[in-house]
Amino acid sequence: MKKLAIYTLAAALCGSALYAVSAVDKAAEQAKEAAAAPAEAAAKEPLVCFESRKGASEITQKEVKPGLPNVKCSPTTGAALWYGDPYEGTVPMGKMPQMANLPEGQAVVRPRTEKLNLVAMCATACHNGVVPPGFPKHKKPVPIPTMEGMLPEVKDFQHGRGAIWCLDCHHATKRDKLVDHYGDPSISFDQPQLLCGKCHGDKLRDWRDGIHGKRIGEFASTGKKRWFTCTECHNPHNVQDGERNRGFAQLQPEPAPQLPKGMKDARHEKLHPIPH
Amino acid sequence: MKQLTRFAADYVGYVLKGGTKFYAWMGSLAVLMIGMMYVFYLQNTEGLIVTGMTSQIHDGLYFANLVFLVGVAAGAVTIVFPAYVYHHEGMHKVAVLGEMLAITAVIMVMMFVFAHMGRPDRLWHMIPPWGIYSFSSMLGWDVLVLNGYLFLNLVCGFYYLWVKYTGGQVNKKWFMPLVYIAIVWALSIHTVTAFLISTMPARPMWFHSMMPIRFISTAFAAGPALIILIFMIVRNNTKFWVDDSAIKLLATIVTWCLGIALFLTMSEVVVELYARTEHANGLYYLMFGLHGLTNLVPWFWSAVVLMVGAFILFLMPRFRNDMKLLPIPCVMAFAGIWIEKGMGLIVPGFIPTPIGEVTEYYPSFVEWLLTLGIWAFGFFILTILLKGAIGILQGEIKYGAAK
Amino acid sequence: MTPNETPQACPAQEQPAGCPVPPASADPAACAPKTSRRDFLKAGGTLSLSSLMGAGALMAQSDDAHAAAEWAEHFQKNYRLMTDKEKDEARLRLEKRYSAEYGKKVTVDTTGPQPGVLMGYALNIRKCIGCRRCVHACVEENNQSRGKRPGEKIEWIQVLRMERGEFSKERMNQGYPEGLGIQVGGNAYTPAGQVLEGQYHYNPETVPEKDANYMPIACMQCEKPPCVKVCPVRTTYREGDGVVVIDYNWCIGCRMCMGACPYWARRFNVANPVLPKEEMNPVTHYLGNRPRMRGVVEKCHWCLQRSRHGRYPACVEVCPVGARKFGNLLDPNSEVSLVLARKNVFRLKAELNTFPKFFYFYD
Repeated sequence: MKKLAIYTLAAALCGSALYAVSAVDKAAEQAKEAAAAPAEAAAKEPLVCFESRKGASEITQKEVKPGLPNVKCSPTTGAALWYGDPYEGTVPMGKMPQMANLPEGQAVVRPRTEKLNLVAMCATACHNGVVPPGFPKHKKPVPIPTMEGMLPEVKDFQHGRGAIWCLDCHHATKRDKLVDHYGDPSISFDQPQLLCGKCHGDKLRDWRDGIHGKRIGEFASTGKKRWFTCTECHNPHNVQDGERNRGFAQLQPEPAPQLPKGMKDARHEKLHPIPH
Repeated sequence: MKQLTRFAADYVGYVLKGGTKFYAWMGSLAVLMIGMMYVFYLQNTEGLIVTGMTSQIHDGLYFANLVFLVGVAAGAVTIVFPAYVYHHEGMHKVAVLGEMLAITAVIMVMMFVFAHMGRPDRLWHMIPPWGIYSFSSMLGWDVLVLNGYLFLNLVCGFYYLWVKYTGGQVNKKWFMPLVYIAIVWALSIHTVTAFLISTMPARPMWFHSMMPIRFISTAFAAGPALIILIFMIVRNNTKFWVDDSAIKLLATIVTWCLGIALFLTMSEVVVELYARTEHANGLYYLMFGLHGLTNLVPWFWSAVVLMVGAFILFLMPRFRNDMKLLPIPCVMAFAGIWIEKGMGLIVPGFIPTPIGEVTEYYPSFVEWLLTLGIWAFGFFILTILLKGAIGILQGEIKYGAAK
Repeated sequence: MTPNETPQACPAQEQPAGCPVPPASADPAACAPKTSRRDFLKAGGTLSLSSLMGAGALMAQSDDAHAAAEWAEHFQKNYRLMTDKEKDEARLRLEKRYSAEYGKKVTVDTTGPQPGVLMGYALNIRKCIGCRRCVHACVEENNQSRGKRPGEKIEWIQVLRMERGEFSKERMNQGYPEGLGIQVGGNAYTPAGQVLEGQYHYNPETVPEKDANYMPIACMQCEKPPCVKVCPVRTTYREGDGVVVIDYNWCIGCRMCMGACPYWARRFNVANPVLPKEEMNPVTHYLGNRPRMRGVVEKCHWCLQRSRHGRYPACVEVCPVGARKFGNLLDPNSEVSLVLARKNVFRLKAELNTFPKFFYFYD
């Protein structure tokens, strides 16, 4: 009797072990499949969404853990719609004047130099530290045909209403840097606020306090946040943009809400027929 | 106890007997009720998506009928009050019929509550000790007063019938106080229903203190108008005779309550449209349409025509005194108030939404069928209740008679 | 507690009754600094193992489990009256049911209000460009129904487009009160910034449009919420950190709250919500974004599943112009406190005395 019991127990153990193995295999297979599917999709076309504005920072979608993407993109506009991981690709912002009270490492930014590596090329090809021939001796704006050919938007420069031009912000010899008007130490493209704040002081103050601009992450005043810098939301070459004068480039909106039951269209919204 | 079982048996036995006409009537009502049950099932499996209601206009036909029928229930007091307070001879004879109508109307109201709710399976959440009763909610109060009114009418009505059945005497010591309470209570049900919608500043169309008196005046026009029609039917189809004096008194009540209701509507229109603030948008939508959307305009103007027409006809002695013509203005008044208080009051309260979105409401087939089914159910129980009551009043059901 | 002491970002970890893993934001990394990486991995490992087993068990008899869970849910109490143990049971029941239904590990958080936190919101109305990204971020986060049939698609934020309007010479003699001869001329009136004349279904190629202003509207989390007052079963109420919430399991669907809300913040689930498995956000809160059922009311709750763990609501994070500010009103250094201290703010429909904790401001 005892023997029988032992055999049974052994058999049961073997059975359960076998079952467990097969289950594990199955799970592994499933996991492989699951991993393969998005990998394939990713291989075809990595989903990249732009963040605040088109042409500035971008994020590539990937999984931070199974079923949890770092970001969700809008199928309509390609804009980032949801952040799973607000700190992806960020580095500490570094020391900022009058922001010393921020706890170390709690303020991070997403560097843009990688995105702006076109500028690096400029710096090696033409603006390589040597003042080019025919460089203007005064500070008055002059047309530069080479630059206008490459960047048509500078012809219709929408910033400062004619009072400023390229060299007021861009460094004369180090083209991957911005100018700091006080002494030579130049400003990185990752810290445009240091330059912008020189004119827009009130905005810089509000930005420092978090009531201008955008921050994501933890909302507590001591929490860890990713700070968006000036140029991530504003295009410095196009802040006025004609008559709108709102500081932002126009972009495609996300889809309108669903029409409620019984409504065929929303044309009535455009009518204002009531005598007032 | 033996008497009581006897009463029940006699009552049921009497009510179930009837001619072909009776069975045809009850049968066709039953068909509608089966339809009602089917769409109610649909509503509670599919959800309210089968109705025309949306997040913008989330109270529709059901709520409109609910509000209207509370009025009908309250309207029964137009019989009870003259009967017991003014000792009106003709009315006293038929007072119990008014109570039967009140019972029916309240039951219908409760069915419309069920139809309206998103989760009728959770109704017990309102009822202590299992649920929570909220004293700050007007809906809570409404449920309380409606149930109270149902209870009062059941007690008063059936006690009276019971006394008639056994051939005893009414114990005035507690019966009369209960009747007086029921009279005041009738006012309370409609007042609270008015408060239900008039205490929401979010809905400027409803947010004024005229709402309760408007509710009561329309209720005391629509209720007795229906009662007159019922009395006519009873008079012509049963052996029970309703006195002309009772009908005439009811006609007078209808006339003047209708007049007051029209006056109040006119006051509202003038006050709202003279200044024409944004708060008048709902009324403006109702009367003329808004942003080119005019779905309710025909409803409103037909209600106006019906009510004004009925009022004029009621004022003409030729119609008022002719028992053959009287039903015409009664039907007009009843239909006019049904529109004015239902679709004409509830729906435009949601148009535009508090943040200005203008949408329209189209009741779906499911809603119409469910509404029709509840009305059919109402007529079904009203027929039963009236038949039983008349049988007792006529002495056809009597203790010891049917051995 | 002084106002300066802001709450910890990841309080769930200190709560024994909370989830095994901080459900924090949708993002485990948000709380990572406070846990060591190894701990986190370990927790994740056990979690995934147990979830695998749990899911397996549930798959085998998912119908039974589902039915049993729904049955038990039916008889549970109002959330506020539950004991901690009952809350825990309700949470586990839901986690089990949702995990089976959506085919992934779903957490249901029951973290309560954090001491010293009163949530507040501010929106820079001058900055808003009407792109509706907040609207859709909210849907990604909060598991709203996304069906195709009218009424099945629910969005909590509405963006109102208001015409700027203009006074022009050509229209000098138009407008009120035409034809009555009282006051002819001198009023080139066009509807400018009239709330009741706005558009919600605007869809131009690009925003912002030259002639338009935009105003997003959602739940204002009023201090004196009319919706709470009219609820006959007290299923909607204000939490200690100022957010008005709904116990979806207690709601009877009477829609009185929808009628009472002056901001049209509430939506009704007319059908069984359509929520595809792959789009479902598995990080949920009991009073927040857990999947709802047919016949109940829902609304914005400032992403309780995120904000109770220190994270910004989803709409704040996607606003491309930084118009949305969120923070602790009791902390003088928070964004929203600084806005109140420094900017011109207004509350929508202040005359109704609802005292919203959602402020509009402008530079």
